Amino acid sequence: MKPARPYEPYLLLAPTLALLTLFFIVPFFVAAKESLFTWDLLTPRTYVGLSNYEILWERGELWRIFRNTLTYSAVVVTGAIVLGLALALLLDRKGLLAAFVRGAIFSAYVVSWVAVALLFMWLLDGEAGLVTRLAMAMGLPKKNWLGDVDLALYTLAVVSIWKIAGYAMIVFLAGLQDIPPVLYEAAALDGAGPIMRFRNVTWPALGPSAAFVATSSLILSFQAFDVVRIMTQGGPVHATEFFVYAIYEQIFLNLRVGRASALTLVFGVVVFSLTALELRLFRRREVA
Amino acid sequence: MKPRVSLTAMASLLVAVLWVGPYVWMVLTSFKTLPELLHAPTAPFPETLTVAAYREVWATVPMARYLLNTAVMATLIAVLQIVLALPAGFALAKLQFVGRRTAFGLVLICLLIPTQATFVPVFLMLGRAGLINTMAALVLPFGASAMGTFLVRQACLSIPDELVEAARLDGAGDLHIVYRLLAPALRPTLAALFLLSFVFHWNDYFWPLVMTTDDRIRTVPVGIALLREQGTGVRWHLVMAGNVILSAPILAVFTVAQRQLIRAVTTRGF
Amino acid sequence: MSFRVSRRSVILGSMATALACEGRRADEERAALWYSYGGKNREVLQRLLTRFQTEASHPRIDATFQGDYFEALAKVRTAIAAGAAPAMTHVVGEVVPYLAEAGVLEPLDGYEGAADLDLVPALAQSGAYEGGADRPLVAVPFNRSVPIMYVNGAMLDHAGISIPRDWSELRAAAGALTVRRGANVAVWGFDCPVSWWFWAALVASAGGRVVDRTGTVTLGGEAGVRALDLWQTLTHRDRVMPPPLGRDYSAWQVGTQNFLSGRAAILWSSTAFLRYIEENANFPVRVAPLARDVRHAVPTGGTFFVLLRGAKDHEKRAAWQFLRWMTERAQTIEWSTSTGYIPVTSGAIAELRRLGYYEAHRNDEIVLGELDAIEPWPWSPTLFRVQREIMDPLLEDAVLEGTDAATALAKGRKEALRP
Repeated sequence: MKPARPYEPYLLLAPTLALLTLFFIVPFFVAAKESLFTWDLLTPRTYVGLSNYEILWERGELWRIFRNTLTYSAVVVTGAIVLGLALALLLDRKGLLAAFVRGAIFSAYVVSWVAVALLFMWLLDGEAGLVTRLAMAMGLPKKNWLGDVDLALYTLAVVSIWKIAGYAMIVFLAGLQDIPPVLYEAAALDGAGPIMRFRNVTWPALGPSAAFVATSSLILSFQAFDVVRIMTQGGPVHATEFFVYAIYEQIFLNLRVGRASALTLVFGVVVFSLTALELRLFRRREVA
Repeated sequence: MKPRVSLTAMASLLVAVLWVGPYVWMVLTSFKTLPELLHAPTAPFPETLTVAAYREVWATVPMARYLLNTAVMATLIAVLQIVLALPAGFALAKLQFVGRRTAFGLVLICLLIPTQATFVPVFLMLGRAGLINTMAALVLPFGASAMGTFLVRQACLSIPDELVEAARLDGAGDLHIVYRLLAPALRPTLAALFLLSFVFHWNDYFWPLVMTTDDRIRTVPVGIALLREQGTGVRWHLVMAGNVILSAPILAVFTVAQRQLIRAVTTRGF
Repeated sequence: MSFRVSRRSVILGSMATALACEGRRADEERAALWYSYGGKNREVLQRLLTRFQTEASHPRIDATFQGDYFEALAKVRTAIAAGAAPAMTHVVGEVVPYLAEAGVLEPLDGYEGAADLDLVPALAQSGAYEGGADRPLVAVPFNRSVPIMYVNGAMLDHAGISIPRDWSELRAAAGALTVRRGANVAVWGFDCPVSWWFWAALVASAGGRVVDRTGTVTLGGEAGVRALDLWQTLTHRDRVMPPPLGRDYSAWQVGTQNFLSGRAAILWSSTAFLRYIEENANFPVRVAPLARDVRHAVPTGGTFFVLLRGAKDHEKRAAWQFLRWMTERAQTIEWSTSTGYIPVTSGAIAELRRLGYYEAHRNDEIVLGELDAIEPWPWSPTLFRVQREIMDPLLEDAVLEGTDAATALAKGRKEALRP
């Protein structure tokens, strides 16, 4: 459709494009520039070339951050898919009780990460937490879920899974409802039991849903910040240092703008790629 | 037949406990007192149902201010996003002009950039402009929503051209078309956008944490998170009371608009 | 259409509200104070602030809570850079040289009454830093503390031992006081936050310096190794000290909780918690200087008030008024006796002595005795960076993993050489 006046579309788009450029495109260049300097915000900048990147790499920090974030994300994605599917299968039924439970699970997704993080800090408190005490009552060893170097990352992952399982469940429920019942009937007529029906009808049909949940929870996990900041502050001993928290720490706690900017660039590239992948799948699912 | 029913029933019960239990514990804790927590932290019920924790939170922390700030911020962002996405989505969907592909490409690129990747430079930029700790710093960076623009464009594609052309023949200007013709037609999309934006930004901890420095502009999530900052031992009853205050509005929204939220989440992505 | 009208009025309405919330007029006598401790200390500060405001001639102090020391410091530094800094805040001693050298602190010598603040030298800039008296005054002590040893009197008597005075006695005492139940430890003989401050105390006691006189970061040299090794021994070989949990002040909290609930017999912590511990313990609390190695030397802790150069002049003047008021005898005494921090003026101490306070509070008397053993910090801009970026992670890592102290510190020294 032709515009009523030649400048019409530009005016309509101007505010949006201006804000997007200012807050999403320009920052990329600012970060690139800052990553070549050392600056503590209080004294003048010093040019250091690629030194920030070198130091991050040599000290193993970059690799550690990437590995932590990836491990965490992998656990969260797997947990979200498995749990989401299980919950969808379990609760795909009529009735008030099922509706209530579905609502409760999904509500965890809707509330703030801060609320969930604080709540679980209390539940998992090494001495007085309900979970710890229950575990002890059941004879399990007393663990410091958030303070143990080997456990902390997985604890955060479990908390995150608890929060986003509802989202995964909803997606799988939608997927389940899209499966025409005739397929089940046909399989039953062929003599397939419940497990065979799941393998041959349900699982293949849920492929796109699973991929969708996988990529969106992957991106979500890569951006994790709130749980880290509130529950572990990157510790113990960097075990839960994820990308966004590392960037935050570099600029606000260490006052190293250059390092933070270098990390920002790397992070931006990683997430950009992941999200591009998700968009491709989203488009494909839409068509399907 | 019989054993299977009870298995799923047990599973459902377990699931219910796992997802409702923590909330219940949160609320129960918020009604306890400090001595109770120190000596019997896992006692199922408070000795006396007291709202002392809520009173103390309200007294030590400017909660009313935080609630106002958060509500204003979330509303402003949601509204601004809709106000800007409508014309932009319309232009991208319906109008032919030079640079349309580039503009759309720009929107797509911004879809792929999270604010966690931009906060350092944006912080520096806003700092230079003297806007740190102002409502502008909280609202402007989110004023244009790439996702919102994308979704509005999507929705506009299915609006027949004839409708717009007819309105034009009647002498309607662009703003009239966008805000008086398209907006009502896109109501479900806009409602979903508003809901998602409002909830997301109400819950947002990260951006206000970076952009605010004092109580005048602070938001509820940041304020509540500060409750755990103690020198001598976290006072969980206060933190849980704060948690209830933080979550109650959103849970209220959720109860009222559950179906819309679910639809919004599944169509939008996350 | 009603939909559009209501949307517009919502926008306008909220913007109006938002603008109203933005900021108040800045021409009255007022100043912003950013402070950073919760719990009891916050109560006392609020009480004093309220009292300050009751006097009509006093300016308004807008106090904002900012979390723990490190978060508050982060906020202050970034606020300075963003031009949104408060007039006054308080910062840990280790960061004062850095801020001073960066030029963001307001020199205080020219302010009315700066010369006769009657501060205790060991706690003030003059005594807490090497050469502190020769530099322009930029920091006034606020809540000052020293590390101290808390002992569970009941457990001590039950075991029939006396308070350990040196490192070997400490090892012996901790061993005697540790109670094991099978594979678990029911009572730890010794608990100490594995963090910079206590390590610095151990280094000072062992005769070392974290930063030598030329400004090179030596991390205590041999003394530094011995200090870390003591913790390694207690944690991994003797197994009388719990491994570190949590970072920063949550580690301190855990220690205090352990001590109060009887899970730790000896606790090294700050005199800042003296009042809290005494009030919440259901056993007699004995206080003693830290068990020493070759010298009796302790670093100071807590914070100094500072004014920020970037604030407006009238704000700084208002802030100074509050600062001076806080160092007056009545306030100093109230602050100190309510919290357990050491009184920062000689007049206050003399007054308390006169009132028989120290006879009634033996523990506070012992704390006071530590003033003679205070080890000044080097005036080094890198001190804070060494603490936060090098030592705290290094110590936590080394004690958790049990790595060899000499190796760990050698690595730390190399780190310190990089920009």
